[in-house]
Amino acid sequence: MNGTVKESATEQQPDAAGNSGRRSQRNTLAKREGRAAYLFLAPWFIGMLVITIGPILGSLYLSFTDYSLLQPPEWVGLDNFRRMLEDSRLHSAIVVTVTYVFVSVPLQLALALALAFFLDRGVRGLAIYRSVYYLPSLLGSSVAIAILWRQIFGTEGLINQILDVFGIQGEGWVSHPDYALSTLIVLNVWTFGSPMVIFLAGLRQIPTMYYEAAEVDGAGGWTRFWRITIPLLTPIIFFNLVLQLIGAFQTFTQAFIVSGGTGGPADSTLFYTLYVYQRGFGSFDMGYASALAWFLLVVIAGFTAINFLAAKRWVHYGD
Amino acid sequence: MVHIVGKGAARSRRPAVVATAAVTLLFVAACGSDDNGGGGDDEATGDVSIRFAWWGNPERDEITNQAIEAFEAEHPNIDVEGDSIDFDGYFDRLATEVAAGNAPDVITLGGAYPREYGDRGALLDLSEVEEHLPTDNIDEAALSNGFFSGVQYSIPTGVNTYAMVVNPDVFSEAGVPLPDDETWTWDDYVRIAEEISANTPDGTYGAADRTAPDLIDLYSRQNTGDGLYTEDGQIAIAAETAAEWWQLTTDMMESGATPPASITSELAGQPGPEQTLMGQGLAGMQFDWSNQLPALRSASGADLQLMRAPGESHGVASGMWLQASQSYGIYSGSDHPEEAAQLIDFLVNHEEAAQFIKADRGLPANSEVLAAITPELDDDTAAQAEFIAEVEGEVNPDLIIGPEGSTESVGIVQRLNDEVLFGRITPEEAGQRLVDELNAAIS
Repeated sequence: MNGTVKESATEQQPDAAGNSGRRSQRNTLAKREGRAAYLFLAPWFIGMLVITIGPILGSLYLSFTDYSLLQPPEWVGLDNFRRMLEDSRLHSAIVVTVTYVFVSVPLQLALALALAFFLDRGVRGLAIYRSVYYLPSLLGSSVAIAILWRQIFGTEGLINQILDVFGIQGEGWVSHPDYALSTLIVLNVWTFGSPMVIFLAGLRQIPTMYYEAAEVDGAGGWTRFWRITIPLLTPIIFFNLVLQLIGAFQTFTQAFIVSGGTGGPADSTLFYTLYVYQRGFGSFDMGYASALAWFLLVVIAGFTAINFLAAKRWVHYGD
Repeated sequence: MVHIVGKGAARSRRPAVVATAAVTLLFVAACGSDDNGGGGDDEATGDVSIRFAWWGNPERDEITNQAIEAFEAEHPNIDVEGDSIDFDGYFDRLATEVAAGNAPDVITLGGAYPREYGDRGALLDLSEVEEHLPTDNIDEAALSNGFFSGVQYSIPTGVNTYAMVVNPDVFSEAGVPLPDDETWTWDDYVRIAEEISANTPDGTYGAADRTAPDLIDLYSRQNTGDGLYTEDGQIAIAAETAAEWWQLTTDMMESGATPPASITSELAGQPGPEQTLMGQGLAGMQFDWSNQLPALRSASGADLQLMRAPGESHGVASGMWLQASQSYGIYSGSDHPEEAAQLIDFLVNHEEAAQFIKADRGLPANSEVLAAITPELDDDTAAQAEFIAEVEGEVNPDLIIGPEGSTESVGIVQRLNDEVLFGRITPEEAGQRLVDELNAAIS
């Protein structure tokens, strides 16, 4: 596309001299190309309207109805939202999700930053390490990994076999309500690769002269890290924080596969989105599920807004 | 691209446009071919095409596809598209397809689902197509499983009963004699399970904990005469009865008769018969549906037997019952209800289909079909047929299918079972919560 712009720009001068015939020819060309552009964008636009915006608005309507999927929806006003106040399974789903978000995201970001920092100090074969550590991010939310996870942390799984070598009798980690959520937190932390790659890029942006100057002034390693690296990296930390927070609130696949769709044992992995799914598709309760989905949207938007407001206090855009 | 100037740019763009268009076409083609995937049967040149959905494993898919081919050979104008998925995802997908108005023409249902879908208007009243789908030879009791609010919504595929599966190898390894299932009590069951666990290597248990709505139903019917639900769609079970059940299972777990909570919880998430303790040859006793016997036998490699549930001869009433293992219904929005009815007729009323399907979906409920295939049954299926013939006269004739919302009971019971076994709530609390949560689910 850029080529086109350049093309008309370079030939603009003789035009200005007053050859209107050629100009109109070129205008038709531009128009044709504009049309072509829209044509190629059309699949995306149509997809956006039909597959994304349409259903979103549809679910807003459904959230005020009683809709069993099999019968037409019936308007019930705010009933679905009132029901949320008394739904004890919803409350436990919120506790599970919030615990997961606030434990796994900070752990994941800390690990990502630590490894990025380490790799940035000139490790041989950086590209290989970067790829290897990035791999889990690509796989982490896949069904295959969730199944693997269930095997690894199962009663007869790899973890227990290793523990067995040391004479420790392991638990059924994914089937015990006290530990099941932890295994999913570990899974999320394990996918630290994508924030790590972004951190790495951020670290590369920090001019070495700052460090050199600090070294001349006698600043030690810690001081340089806290006074130079972290402040200059805050925009990147902020970016990663927002993305991972939003992602963590929407966790579904891992919990669905690891618990076999139940959120069990004893609702200990009943993530918010899993509960929405259960209500909607398992219990013929799509109206309520839509209301739940909208509540989640509002909560995520709220957290993101708080994040942006708080960012004014701690994020430094180094200029 | 930025540096390309002049006519060269225009020329170089053309291949790009062609390439993009080609990619787009490929994409569209890929989406298109997705629609008719899943069936696997040959593209017959049919005038009418109908879709038939079921759940199951690859063996069931194979025999069902063979039956479909036989049907297509007999009805060259009908093309049947088979559509199968494992049990876990089946009903989630069905609900979505019905909501989208894109449901299969012939729908496999089970348990309380015919009522759940029928009362919500998603199933065709089968009297509308009765000329294509006679039910004269089908067992009355089995037919009643698909008859609600005065309408026949579905036709049973076969007859099934919920019973005890025992592994004689494990019994003899433990040196415990097999019980007399006509007289044994729940106390006998508990004692035998303890003995087996004590006298077999670690990892082998007297019994698997299979707590589920069906089992609580059975226990409650024996003890009080009432199952989970009343005839008019209310909750019938008393909180105390459910509490007693959970006291029994908790005691068994604590004595080692059944596995620890985390194993029971882990197994509950794995529906395949080969994944159960019985299928792995690691349990002496396990409640299961009678049509699972062949699968359990081949998985365990042992000569498993079916027995009556404990306490049958000591309770207020018999707890066991015969039930349609599955049933076939027709989607109310189907464009070809008559052809769909012909397919169901073929599957349940014709020997030819039974040659392939045999007792995979329960013993054929059509008496003529059953008589025709009986001589050809293999040992595993014959054992199942003999057992059903043996208990047929004594099981509880009342069968009450749960009302709308009752399909949630499976999840509710599993959750409460986890909570009790992990000691988070007492059996009394679990009993009360069962009644409360079931009430909430059906309201």
